[in-house]
Amino acid sequence: MREKRLDYKVLDHTADLGMIVCAETLEGLFESAALSMIHIMLKVEQTGPSSITPLSIEGQDLADLMVRWLGEVLYLFEGERVITVDANVQSLSGHHLEASVSTIPFDPQVHEVLYEIKAVTYHQIEVLKKNSHWKTRVVFDL
Amino acid sequence: MDIKLKKLDEFRWIIPKTGAMRVPGLIFSSPQLLEAIKQEQSLVQVSNVATLPGIVRHSLAMPDIHWGYGFPIGGVAAFEENEGIISPGGVGYDINCGCRIMTTSLRADQIRPMIKDLVAALFINIPTGVGSAGTVRLTKSEEAKVAVEGASWAVKKGFGQAEDLERTEDHGTIPGADPSVLSDKAFKRGLDQLGTLGSGNHFLEIQVVDEIYDQERARAFGLFEGQITVMIHSGSRGFGHQICDDFLKKMAREVQAQRFQLPDRQLACAYIKSDLGQRYLAAMACAANYAWANRQILMHLAHETFLKALSISPSELNMKLLYDVCHNIAKIERHTVDGQELTVCVHRKGATRALPPAHPLLPDIYKAVGQPVLIPGDMGTYSFVLAGAEGALRETFASSCHGAGRVLSRSQATKKAKGRAIHRELEDKGIFVQSRGKKTLKEEMPEAYKDVSAVVEVVHRAGLACKVARMRPLGVIKG
Repeated sequence: MREKRLDYKVLDHTADLGMIVCAETLEGLFESAALSMIHIMLKVEQTGPSSITPLSIEGQDLADLMVRWLGEVLYLFEGERVITVDANVQSLSGHHLEASVSTIPFDPQVHEVLYEIKAVTYHQIEVLKKNSHWKTRVVFDL
Repeated sequence: MDIKLKKLDEFRWIIPKTGAMRVPGLIFSSPQLLEAIKQEQSLVQVSNVATLPGIVRHSLAMPDIHWGYGFPIGGVAAFEENEGIISPGGVGYDINCGCRIMTTSLRADQIRPMIKDLVAALFINIPTGVGSAGTVRLTKSEEAKVAVEGASWAVKKGFGQAEDLERTEDHGTIPGADPSVLSDKAFKRGLDQLGTLGSGNHFLEIQVVDEIYDQERARAFGLFEGQITVMIHSGSRGFGHQICDDFLKKMAREVQAQRFQLPDRQLACAYIKSDLGQRYLAAMACAANYAWANRQILMHLAHETFLKALSISPSELNMKLLYDVCHNIAKIERHTVDGQELTVCVHRKGATRALPPAHPLLPDIYKAVGQPVLIPGDMGTYSFVLAGAEGALRETFASSCHGAGRVLSRSQATKKAKGRAIHRELEDKGIFVQSRGKKTLKEEMPEAYKDVSAVVEVVHRAGLACKVARMRPLGVIKG
């Protein structure tokens, strides 16, 4: 398993909010992007036993895959009321992503919500390799 | 990208047609507001929208325009029904985010000492904030009925009165809603969010009518100086967000299939007459109707809370809906363009419909004075009621501005608020605020927004809508 460091910075946008995430590998970039988004949304200090959810995602290209992947993680919180605390990408091509995420139940008494992210947008979406690192830029709708 | 602007007159600027633009851009603004707009990318977004197939006459921007994603917020664009497109990004994630205002028979001096308790009671009774569950629990089949029937579903269930419906844009129901096109995820996100306010810039506000500009229209709207009014700003919650998200992804594939050349992927779209375009319209109508039911229920909760907290009778309170408008929507409408009657799909993303007097779509009660146009400001200053004017029908597909519009990003606002007690500053101005999120107050502080009075002045003087009354906040609840 790769070690996951949260290497992200928040991007200023007048009405909304974005993030720039960097990682050494493409798989690591997707994992880190999911965890960074959760870090922006929620303060999770305590974690208990987690469940594993497999995710299989099709996209047109890496940028589309990123939007769809983050959208799934967001849906797990909004629709299923669970928080993604870990993410593991098993396979990743330009059009397909196989991953599993570890989740814990959301408890509003325990987990502080910092931002309600309504959606992950395609606006100025970017997934690219710069020198030896991978980088993504994502804008959220708040 | 450097955008060249050509000044037409005191309130109008043109972005000349260049490159892939199919029509020019038309910006309603003032020199002062324009300075802030130039600092960000919203003018580029106005010209991007002008490149979309079937756009008619102008890509329009209201004076509260700010940087959105894909379409600018405060943008209006109409597309011809046979050759034009529909874009979920031109509506926004919060489909039918909108505003309603209720009048009362109360005067501010009667309830001023009770405002703090009233705000506390509203905060307890009205679910706010992220993931809050509503007072109405739906089954999937009942949720489908909400999606089809809109505000009338809520009235049938005892939330409000039948007369509220004629005081709601489109009677609170867009026809053509088809729940069979929705995903399970959309249904799931909507199950427990009906009757919830949400977070961010959504609010419920107790206001006092501070100034009347037009006595005749104010009388027709039931407004008088010193009166207590209540304003609600909310939308279709997670249900609408998921519907937009689902269809943007479908349209991203359509864009590839149709080989549309888009300057921004968020502008993903489909031809209005295509199967996908029609399915999106049917899905969008579901979310719009859900939002109207939501605001109808929120109004009912506010009504109940006022009665209980103030220990008064319904006739003493006399809370009546003045009007409900949406400001994130796409609608099939008839408009005259260069002397020709056209059926167009008008996208209003952060813009309000503004019908002038005598328009056939107006209810009889407002036929003589025009449609009420509701402009919420920020929590420290004012909100406005305007009435639609002829200029809107001529120039903007009957549209006006929708609010103040942000000027500071959230982190800029937080930085500016550092070390300050915004809560206390507002209390010193006589405004009691309760909010769920710790960051909300700082991010939503008055300086984060443009001067709403300057925005309203532009639409008034440009002849899009005329000022009727100004309201000052006394109490606010936020997510």
